[in-house]
Amino acid sequence: MLTIAFLLLGAAFLVIQTTIFPLLPEWMGKPDLLFLLVVFIAIRLDIFQGAVLALLFGLMMDIFSGVFLGLYPVIYLLLFFLLKGLAHHLVIDDTVHQAPLVAASSLFVNSGLFLMASILAPDSSLDWAWRDIILDTLILAVIAMPFYHFCTHFHCLVRQGIPKPTLTRSKTGNRFR
Amino acid sequence: MRKRSKRARQIKALLLFGIVLVLVLILIVVTVGRQEFNAPHKFALELIGRAQSSVTMATNFFSTVRDDYVALLDVRDENKRLKEELKKFKTINNQYREAVATNVRLSKLLGFKQTMESPTLTATIVGKDPSLWFKTVIIDRGSSDGVQQGMPVVTEAGIVGQILSASPHYSKVLLTCDPNSAIDALIQSSRVQGIVKGQGSGYQLNYVLKNFAVREGDTIVTSGLGGIFPKGLPVGTVTKVTKSRRGMFQEIIIKPSVDFSQLEHLIIIMKENSLAE
Repeated sequence: MLTIAFLLLGAAFLVIQTTIFPLLPEWMGKPDLLFLLVVFIAIRLDIFQGAVLALLFGLMMDIFSGVFLGLYPVIYLLLFFLLKGLAHHLVIDDTVHQAPLVAASSLFVNSGLFLMASILAPDSSLDWAWRDIILDTLILAVIAMPFYHFCTHFHCLVRQGIPKPTLTRSKTGNRFR
Repeated sequence: MRKRSKRARQIKALLLFGIVLVLVLILIVVTVGRQEFNAPHKFALELIGRAQSSVTMATNFFSTVRDDYVALLDVRDENKRLKEELKKFKTINNQYREAVATNVRLSKLLGFKQTMESPTLTATIVGKDPSLWFKTVIIDRGSSDGVQQGMPVVTEAGIVGQILSASPHYSKVLLTCDPNSAIDALIQSSRVQGIVKGQGSGYQLNYVLKNFAVREGDTIVTSGLGGIFPKGLPVGTVTKVTKSRRGMFQEIIIKPSVDFSQLEHLIIIMKENSLAE
């Protein structure tokens, strides 16, 4: 149920970012909501559900973006397992860590896409455009907090639990437990 | 005991990661050679494509209402200006008619064989690539309309791209400004050939030797040699020519004849073996 709900949410985000976001002015960027959702599921969902969703989101992105089938599943799964690994040692789930986590993940995904696309098509003239990448990363970092607030509510709603907003959540004494 | 179970968990996680990674690598190896959509891809494109169509229709409706409102505000001045423009264009149109009539007469005189126009199909963009790295669009025509992989896509202004994959009702178009796109082209005036590569927002004309004269403002058209685009379609205009000391070739930057940010409706040129014929 949870997997299907998040899959539908991801599909809705994909529709929004392929139809409405291109109409926005350039300075507002085109935030990749599906990427933000992958980061969210990596830090909140368990490894099996999360990995399946990351793979499905990658396959969905393959259909609507790029020319290499299989590129996005690899990148999203790598990001997912990297974040899962980090979550074992660091408190990346904390609200204050969300913006830097999203920014670092965005740079990781962009580097991965650039590297793999360059390897798969050596003749392509891909340019590492710092301006666009930094703008994109900043926009994602800014919207990360409200986005995860929404996703937390959605997660709780699907699980039929009481929503616990992360912004106003009281921290326990031992934050590194 | 706890340490052992923790280690077992770690091994399990590593194993899972390894299996998933191998599966995905297999997926890449299988799909990289044959860049066509399989059944699940087509099914997903059909489902999400419908949602994209609906959202695009809704946004188009609202933007039309907004545009109509804005247009009403200065409609009188617009009308006056348009009437003047109409007069001017009527004069130009008469000149063009005369030129076309002359052209037809001369063509007949020279015994040129009149070529038939290829069948075309109009399509509407329903979705755009959300990524920073790729330039593709989704259109509302698919294999049931006769659309096939490799068909050229154009507008009245010039070339736009080619069909990358198609499901029954939707297709993915690789735009010519994508870094993975390369088309054979020539400079209209000097007939010098080169390869036009996508640069994200514009083009670069590659493999033009330094001893050929290329000037800013030169028009670039398709050469017809690639087997995708018909000959003579507008590609763009030369905006910058650089001859560095090293190397054999010039660096030529081209401004596309098509404004990719304003694309809405496209024309697909159908191949001879398409179902639409």
